[in-house]
Amino acid sequence: MGAEAKRDDKLMKDNFLIALAGQQNAGKSTTYNMLTGASQHVANYPGVTVDKKVGSYREGKTRYEVVDLPGTYSLTSFSLEERVSREFLLEEKPDVVVNVMDATCLRRSLYFTFQVLEMNFPVTVALNMMDVAHNQGISINLQELSSRLGIDVVATVGRKGKGKQALKAAIRKSVNQESYSSPVAVDYSDLEKHIQALEILLAEDTSLGVLYPLRWLAVKLLENDSEARRIVEVHHSKGESVVEEALTRRVLFEDEADVDTGDFIVACRDRLAGEIVEACVTKEDETKQPVSERIDSWVLNRALAPFFLLATVYIIYELSIVQGYKLTTYTWPILAKFRDIVANLLPAAGLVEDTLLRSMGLWMVDSANTLLNYVPIFFILFALIAILEDSGYMARIAFILDRVFHSFGLHGQSTLPFILGGVFAGGCAVPGIMSTKGIPDERSRLATILTVPFMNCLAKIPLYTLLVNIYFAEHKSWAMFFISTITIIMAMIIAKILTTTVLKGRETAPFIMEMPNYHAPTVFGVAQRSVERTWEYIKKVGSIVVAVSLCVFSLLQFPGLGEERMDYYEAEMNKATAVFDDKASGTSYGSVTDPVKMLSLLNFYDDYKRARMSSSGKEGAARVDTKFKESNPEFFTILKPRGDKQAKIVNRALRKLSSKRKALRRKIKEEKIKTSFFGMIGRSLEPVTQLAGFDWKVNIALISSFAARESSVATMGVLYQQGADDNKTLEQRMDSETQSTGMTPLHALAVILFFALYPPCLAATIMVKVQTGSWKWMVFAIVFPTAVGFGVASAVFTLGNALGASGIAMMKGFYFVTLGVALLIALGHKIASDKVASARAFQP
Amino acid sequence: MKKMLTKTIVAAGLVVLSASAAFAHSPLCSCFDNGDGTVLCEGGFSDGSSASGVRMFVRDSSGSVVAKGTMNDSSEFEFKKPEGAYTVTFDAGEGHSIEIDGSDIVE
Repeated sequence: MGAEAKRDDKLMKDNFLIALAGQQNAGKSTTYNMLTGASQHVANYPGVTVDKKVGSYREGKTRYEVVDLPGTYSLTSFSLEERVSREFLLEEKPDVVVNVMDATCLRRSLYFTFQVLEMNFPVTVALNMMDVAHNQGISINLQELSSRLGIDVVATVGRKGKGKQALKAAIRKSVNQESYSSPVAVDYSDLEKHIQALEILLAEDTSLGVLYPLRWLAVKLLENDSEARRIVEVHHSKGESVVEEALTRRVLFEDEADVDTGDFIVACRDRLAGEIVEACVTKEDETKQPVSERIDSWVLNRALAPFFLLATVYIIYELSIVQGYKLTTYTWPILAKFRDIVANLLPAAGLVEDTLLRSMGLWMVDSANTLLNYVPIFFILFALIAILEDSGYMARIAFILDRVFHSFGLHGQSTLPFILGGVFAGGCAVPGIMSTKGIPDERSRLATILTVPFMNCLAKIPLYTLLVNIYFAEHKSWAMFFISTITIIMAMIIAKILTTTVLKGRETAPFIMEMPNYHAPTVFGVAQRSVERTWEYIKKVGSIVVAVSLCVFSLLQFPGLGEERMDYYEAEMNKATAVFDDKASGTSYGSVTDPVKMLSLLNFYDDYKRARMSSSGKEGAARVDTKFKESNPEFFTILKPRGDKQAKIVNRALRKLSSKRKALRRKIKEEKIKTSFFGMIGRSLEPVTQLAGFDWKVNIALISSFAARESSVATMGVLYQQGADDNKTLEQRMDSETQSTGMTPLHALAVILFFALYPPCLAATIMVKVQTGSWKWMVFAIVFPTAVGFGVASAVFTLGNALGASGIAMMKGFYFVTLGVALLIALGHKIASDKVASARAFQP
Repeated sequence: MKKMLTKTIVAAGLVVLSASAAFAHSPLCSCFDNGDGTVLCEGGFSDGSSASGVRMFVRDSSGSVVAKGTMNDSSEFEFKKPEGAYTVTFDAGEGHSIEIDGSDIVE
């Protein structure tokens, strides 16, 4: 293709692809927002959970599509983000790469720029945060920088939208350029001869040069980059011998120069960066300490850092979880309304049993609503996370806690998910898992996702309280302390186990300690990110909840009750309706004894009560009343008889009938669970679960608690029904029954341990699917903790029985053993990393 | 570092414990005046969980408890309507209690 044709091609083209690339915290997102405004959306890169942000803007007929690449320090194949960015550049070949640079740390930023330039892309630099640089007394000679780099440099302040037009003009100029003037190239001095030799070898296969820049490939081969090796092996006809040659040359060079090739390449780049900075940057007052450093001297102070961290965590917890829940009081009626609409569309409720379509439909709506009820919490949570990220404090949290978490294979940024999951008490795994999104290290991220559910979500607390009150009444505070700390210890140990076994082959990113400068986040940026992530959550819930809830529904619903049992319940119901008929037939409302009319009256009553429950205040109640009065004045008079004596009689009979119906329906439901596939599993597992001391009642309670519909305590209440009529508390009932069956504190300890390690609920496992993007991990997140929980419970129970130890003794013993293991792991890691550090220190 | 972790965890625990607790669902409760001198309250949770066993308190205007009990198996609680102003408390644990003013309880 001649220059002429190429020019025509460019002129005709009216859609250009622009890639925004740069290091973390250089202000890429604000630059992206500045360029694209509101027209943007988020997608995923194929096969990975890294967000792909795509936006666009127009200039006349020309459309510019802007892709915001993940922020990375360099373009190697170390981390997932780096690989994603690099692959995008190589595959999509954008028309121009806009390199966003942080003006306050030019030297480090240039390191990235050189790598993009080496890949032969037309580059335009957006030198961002010029205001911060100015405040720090840094002035940069833009012309000098531009001529040294051989590319356009535009000064911007993304946060304030400054430099937008100039940047757009530079982009326009760059995409319309006929030929690309040669920019600066890094001089690799002694390595150059090897690079050039490899370039010649690579050029032998002409097809390769069309696809990839050869000099870049040559450098990468000498760096021994795995992805570059793969490219050459696949696309070059003599790929393997070229790779072989590169390795030989690498070794040769290292022997001659006595230096690691990788280090040498970095040093060459750094030297050039240093020269450029020397020539372009003048610092007003060398002694003046930048604002960020001044803040850090407080925030990262050894003694004060934990307090700042705690205060931040507390504020996040208070604002998102506590205040967020308060907001759900206002948003819940919307979801309730949605349920009512669906309920009205489905076939009406039967007397004692609903049609399959109705119960399944409502089950699905309820499941979705449970997850959608979190939306206000997530909205606040995501906004706060965005503030933390934009301000630069998130990197510092990771810095403060990374060493501790790292010992267990986790990451500094695992802090937030654990806190939200309920480190001690008072969290929920759903937002916890959701907030793992920002962890850059794939292995740690998965380990965090899989261990967050071990935290004490508050749905677990009622069962703990129940068991502790019965079996550990004398050691209450110790038992609660045990429960709240054992979970974090176990989570750490399990994270270590997971990261050294199943997750071993996963990506890990080297933790780079680089403190970005503090910036004030913008309202638009924060709100936008929050809306974007919340919407993403809603979309994902919508697609996954259907499949999962259907599955659980079937397991709980089928095979259902036998005809004989249903006949029994129908007969019970008939008795109740006979009483109602008897009472109502004598009144002027006698017509309601007609079975069809009676059923619709009962449903009318239920609908009314539901509507009142989701209305708020006096006015809300009045609105509901007016609505129901209009829809059926006769029924409404029965519900609200006021002075009507005859209606009062029917009202009383109706209330009795309705509560009888409710009770029967509840019993059918419980019996269905017991005889369902889930129930069968619970019963059939009894011989095995006996090892942990669980009988089938406990099994079923634990299984049904997984569905999170009725809490485990409620199920326990139903299973231990004897004595319910004597007005005894559940504690007393369980106590009296267990005395006869011989349940001991050791049994209770086994249940507590199992419950602490067992996957908390359906919603949390759905979140595992959302965050890992894989059904396999979701199944793993159910099966693995169940196995671990059961293993631990069995071991403690069996050992306790063999030793004749009491529940409290086993509790203490178990605690110290696990704590010891955790400390050993941490110590082992410290020794190992000290060794590595000392090995490095002695190198020339 | 280990020490710092322990300190941090203990302190975090105290902070979290002192904050109000949160279940995975929102509490719901509504009361009706039955018109015959009794009031019926019905409770539940937004995810469909039963409120059975949740403690209920009725207090008069001075704040002293005039009636108490728990939600029955049908998640209902009935009490005799006290004279004068009163409030009903649905107590499903800290952070999950609802207080309803007697003047909002209508037929």
